[in-house]
Amino acid sequence: MITSRSNLRRGLVLLASAATVVALSACSSGAGSSAVPGSDPTASAAAGSLDSVYANAPVAEAAALIPGSTMEKIKQRGKLIVAEALDAPLLSQQDPTNPDDVEGFDADLAKMLAIYILGEPNVEIVPPASETREALLANGTVDVVFNTYTITEKRAEQVDFAGPYLESGLAVAVKSDNTDINGIDDLGGKTVIVGANTPAVTAVPEEQPTATIVSFATDPQALQALTQGRGDAYVQDFTLLASHAIDDKSIKVVGQPFTTEAYGIGLKKDDSQFKSFINDWLLKIQADGSWAKIWDATLGSAVESSAPTPPAIGSVPGS
Amino acid sequence: MDFLAASAGPIAEALGTTILLAVAAGIGSIVLGTLITAARISPVPVLRWAAFGYVQFFVNVPLLVLLVLAVFALPDAGFLLPLTPTAIIVLTLYEAAYVAEAVRSGVNTVGKGEIEASRALGFTLGQTLRVLVIPQSLRAAIQPIGNVMIALTMNTALAAAVGVVELTSAANKLNLVEAQPILIFTAAGLIYMALALAIGLTAGRLEKKLRIRR
Amino acid sequence: MTSTVSAPALYDEPGPRTRRNIRIWSVVSALVILGVVVLALLQFASKGQLDGDRWAPFLDIAIWEYLGVGLVGTLQAAALTAVFGFVLGLLLALGRLSRIAPIRWLCTGYIEVARTIPVLLLIYLMLFGLPQLGLNFPVLWKLVIPLTIANSAAFAEIIRAGILALPRGQREAGLSLGMSHWQVDRKIVLPQAMRFVAPSLVVQLVSLLKDTSLGYIVAFTELLYRGQVLSAYNGLLIQTFVVVTAIFLVLNGSLSGLASRLQRRPGRRSLAAPTESAPAGLTTPNAPVDR
Repeated sequence: MITSRSNLRRGLVLLASAATVVALSACSSGAGSSAVPGSDPTASAAAGSLDSVYANAPVAEAAALIPGSTMEKIKQRGKLIVAEALDAPLLSQQDPTNPDDVEGFDADLAKMLAIYILGEPNVEIVPPASETREALLANGTVDVVFNTYTITEKRAEQVDFAGPYLESGLAVAVKSDNTDINGIDDLGGKTVIVGANTPAVTAVPEEQPTATIVSFATDPQALQALTQGRGDAYVQDFTLLASHAIDDKSIKVVGQPFTTEAYGIGLKKDDSQFKSFINDWLLKIQADGSWAKIWDATLGSAVESSAPTPPAIGSVPGS
Repeated sequence: MDFLAASAGPIAEALGTTILLAVAAGIGSIVLGTLITAARISPVPVLRWAAFGYVQFFVNVPLLVLLVLAVFALPDAGFLLPLTPTAIIVLTLYEAAYVAEAVRSGVNTVGKGEIEASRALGFTLGQTLRVLVIPQSLRAAIQPIGNVMIALTMNTALAAAVGVVELTSAANKLNLVEAQPILIFTAAGLIYMALALAIGLTAGRLEKKLRIRR
Repeated sequence: MTSTVSAPALYDEPGPRTRRNIRIWSVVSALVILGVVVLALLQFASKGQLDGDRWAPFLDIAIWEYLGVGLVGTLQAAALTAVFGFVLGLLLALGRLSRIAPIRWLCTGYIEVARTIPVLLLIYLMLFGLPQLGLNFPVLWKLVIPLTIANSAAFAEIIRAGILALPRGQREAGLSLGMSHWQVDRKIVLPQAMRFVAPSLVVQLVSLLKDTSLGYIVAFTELLYRGQVLSAYNGLLIQTFVVVTAIFLVLNGSLSGLASRLQRRPGRRSLAAPTESAPAGLTTPNAPVDR
């Protein structure tokens, strides 16, 4: 989440220690502790604090909505169609007691983009499985993907990426009572849970060829599999794991992230007009501080550190 | 097409899992289903109601719901088995209800007169069932059971949704790498059709072999 | 199919000794069943799964509204699949019985292929394959189209069984009155065949409704998918999926009840069993075969 590599390390160390050591009582909404959805105080506090961000959100000049462009079509349609999760805490989570309310870093950025194009946060969400994102973009079901979507050169053959808008890395989570595994180096010969079609599918065998990989279609499924002992460890994006570890005391994140993942906003292949339009928007929300405010209200609530410097646009191969 | 040959190993392994699921759950559901039918035609009301309730439950609840419940929810209550055995158990319990219905349709084909005749000859209930009802009804139920077995083989694909690496899941993974959906999924479809054909032919042959000449 | 047992006269009116044995067996089996249930409940309780505060959230109307939206999606997908599947199935059934050989082959081929490919595979093909061909549909149709392909074959087989079960004389009588084949189909054969297979059609409806839970895989907003999102939010896995199971049970149970009422409908007797061999043919299509 920080441009230079050493800064990234430091930021992630902060995140890691926060996830494993600091117990933030305000965030314990998961796994049976607080059973009534919607009673999570951080969620409402975050929503409240973001009202002013939305009110002052940048709106594209009419000239930027070039006739015939994707953004103009979205404007005419009156809503932005986004592939984003409904079940990723702090990133993009739907509140079942108030289904219109989807919050988190990805979800709030999507709303900001909708305001930028439409003048109002009118977002239609298509929840993707991690396997279906390329297809959803390719066939035009969604306009953009905000879904902790790692920019890779392989994926860039099928889709375009704006951004990166956030940097993180793959990390290892284990059950809290596990003392044998302290990082990726201890996973040799172990059963490792990964999310289907995530970078972990290839990254884990590269680091640990003797590990047995078990993949699950969604992040909640994989998390359940870990807590239920279907594998020794779960390798997933650090941000996701850290927010899970705060919700669910039965798991912990161990060691340092062992890869660097840059998240991009997935776009349909070969729409450079739309891509540069979104990159412009990213620069604007970074410059006016709303990127940092959203980070503080969402992922930042999981850690006691100030918002990192956003990654530089186009800094990753494939973006 | 080259990548199909290159990935033959994992595909064969996944096909093995599909066949394991189908055979294990197939045998299990035929045994359990027959027992359920026996309970359902027994003179003991409690057993009849229990068998009726069992069939009603599994005929009315989607298999995928049961799989998700068994794989992701029940471990929270301490019921935890590896993925493939869990899938086999759920498939067995689920398809047993359909086998029971198929066997019962077979029982209904046994002529009333024959049963009355056996009773007139002084056969006990056990003898009547063993000598007359069960052989005839299983014979009549071969085709319906064959159809249930075909449906069971198709249903093993749902195990992919809970993390079992069987044929459909392997095809999906291969497609994510190769992005050749039409070719890959058609090939997988042909394998399933071959499996169904094998089951259908076996059922047909069995039926012919066991046919009573009247 | 859901009727209580109609076992053929397997046993005599029980005498005093048999009645006593039956009572003993009733008690024994009731105890065994009860024992299993109690053991399971104890296991659940020991893990705290029966605690009131794990179930109390389901008293909140908002959760039911949330699941209700999923249920509407389930019903919507089921209704569309039922209509398209039935119409296509009807055409396929007539086609498979057609006097024109190529039509017969085509329809038979379609039915056999659609019957022996997993719906999930069809869904994947639809999800990843069709967009490559430039065809793209909203997510509802990505579920409804594969389900229609699969269920039309099942509907076709049910309708065909109904048509075949009609005595030949019905068709011959119509033809001898100077009606065309189409008129005979429309006025004589189909109305009777439909009445005849109505229970099986309802049973197929149950099966199709269950199939819509595959929407979970394409992230279509149906009941199981909403259950998944809800459980990821509240961490109440067992409770959420038990509730989802119960909703399906009530919904499909009432449909199954309708099927068995249709089965016992007095009007059906006029068509029953012209020959001794008929019941075999008649019971088979009614036996539910899920897919």
